[in-house]
Amino acid sequence: MFSPSKPRLSPVRPSLPPVRCGVRELRHRIQTVHTTRKITEAMKLVAAARVRRAQEAVVSARPFSSHLAAVLADIARRLRADDVSTPLTASRPVRTVALVVVTADRGLCGAFNKSVTRKAANRIEELKKLGLGCVVVSVGKKGNSFFSLDSINSDPFVKVDSFVEIGGFPTAKEAQVIADAVFSLFVSEEVDKVELLYTRFVSLVRFEPVIQPLLPFVNEDCDDGVFRLSTKDGKLAVERDDVRLRKEGEGLVLPLMEFEQDPVQILDAMLPLYLNSQVLRGLQESLASELAARMGAMATATDNAVELGKKLSVAYNRERQAKITGELLEIVAGAEALTKDD
Amino acid sequence: MTLNLCVLTPNRIVWDSEVKEIILPTNSGQIGVLPNHAPIAAAVDIGILRIRLKDQWLTMALMGGFARINNNEITVLVNDAEKGSDIDPQEAQETLKIAEANLNKAEGKRQKIEANLALRRARTRVEAINVIS
Repeated sequence: MFSPSKPRLSPVRPSLPPVRCGVRELRHRIQTVHTTRKITEAMKLVAAARVRRAQEAVVSARPFSSHLAAVLADIARRLRADDVSTPLTASRPVRTVALVVVTADRGLCGAFNKSVTRKAANRIEELKKLGLGCVVVSVGKKGNSFFSLDSINSDPFVKVDSFVEIGGFPTAKEAQVIADAVFSLFVSEEVDKVELLYTRFVSLVRFEPVIQPLLPFVNEDCDDGVFRLSTKDGKLAVERDDVRLRKEGEGLVLPLMEFEQDPVQILDAMLPLYLNSQVLRGLQESLASELAARMGAMATATDNAVELGKKLSVAYNRERQAKITGELLEIVAGAEALTKDD
Repeated sequence: MTLNLCVLTPNRIVWDSEVKEIILPTNSGQIGVLPNHAPIAAAVDIGILRIRLKDQWLTMALMGGFARINNNEITVLVNDAEKGSDIDPQEAQETLKIAEANLNKAEGKRQKIEANLALRRARTRVEAINVIS
């Protein structure tokens, strides 16, 4: 791979003249490796700072989702006796499934995008085997480019529906765009089931893509998990608070209250809210996972760059010293030859 | 006896302070809420929320959601909310025009549903600026 004894190192660039001073080229390489190291380290720090912000975004989303969940649970409880169905709870026989896939906009995050697209491809295969059609809504540039590949596009079972691109932090507006698309797909009966594929943030080094069913809405105990970045023994650690909503007692006591409209109408108004908040949470967690993946990948890259720099330095010094020794020998030999003549 | 209004969207708290009176847009019309209102739960339509502080009325465009009034605490959960003063008139007009054009272009049930929602939202935003307190 790398032989320090040969002074002629011309890797894969035939345009350069073949005779090159080994020392100079080594020096150039060492410089580029140092620059690369600085860049990867900066990227790691930026990603670390942004994970913190992403975590704060999730925390600030909590008041909304906890209020919503409490009231939703209450209303659903009351309506459980009556067999209520709203457009978003209607369960039909499933013929087509919509899959919302959340990927990153940029690369350099290790295996993050690959694992998401692989899971998506697997799910599409599964659905194909069950004889169900699949509509894909792709979020994020990397996913968009994956799904525009011919291999997926030409597949008759899969219809790639829309591409959404989110710049920067996911806010309610972007989640609304996706929720709208999903809502209209479902209500117009183009699809009968909607699933969300996002990356769940388990810890700073573990994140896994999961598939969560979004529609039709099934009323179960919703798991409102939130993660917190903190320090444990001086190292960054992540704690996940799993809040089971029924037990949450922050004064969200719901007295018997009148409904201004029909409970069905109220449920109908709340389910889009729930959909929106679920989509937003998927986006936020995916962002946090992407940042953590980038942090890890850049940390590894930095370590590699440091090691490579060391190896190159050693080789460079050897070359340099060999050259100096050679010159000295020449000089001494020349001097010897001259003095001998006298 | 003052009302405390809390407007929450999925990613932030838009409003959390005391008000004198509010007018909520719901599916079944507008509801005025004064202190000591009876506890009630209502579905909020895409429309304008009017808030009265002392003698001044503020407007906020709400994009559909849910409201709970209980014990002088009003909690409004909406998909998105924008204060009238935060909306750029030019941009809102342009968005409205684009939404109208999209609705005319829309074919098929699904596109019509999406276009309709977008139009209603754009219209609400424009109305929120135009209302003079």
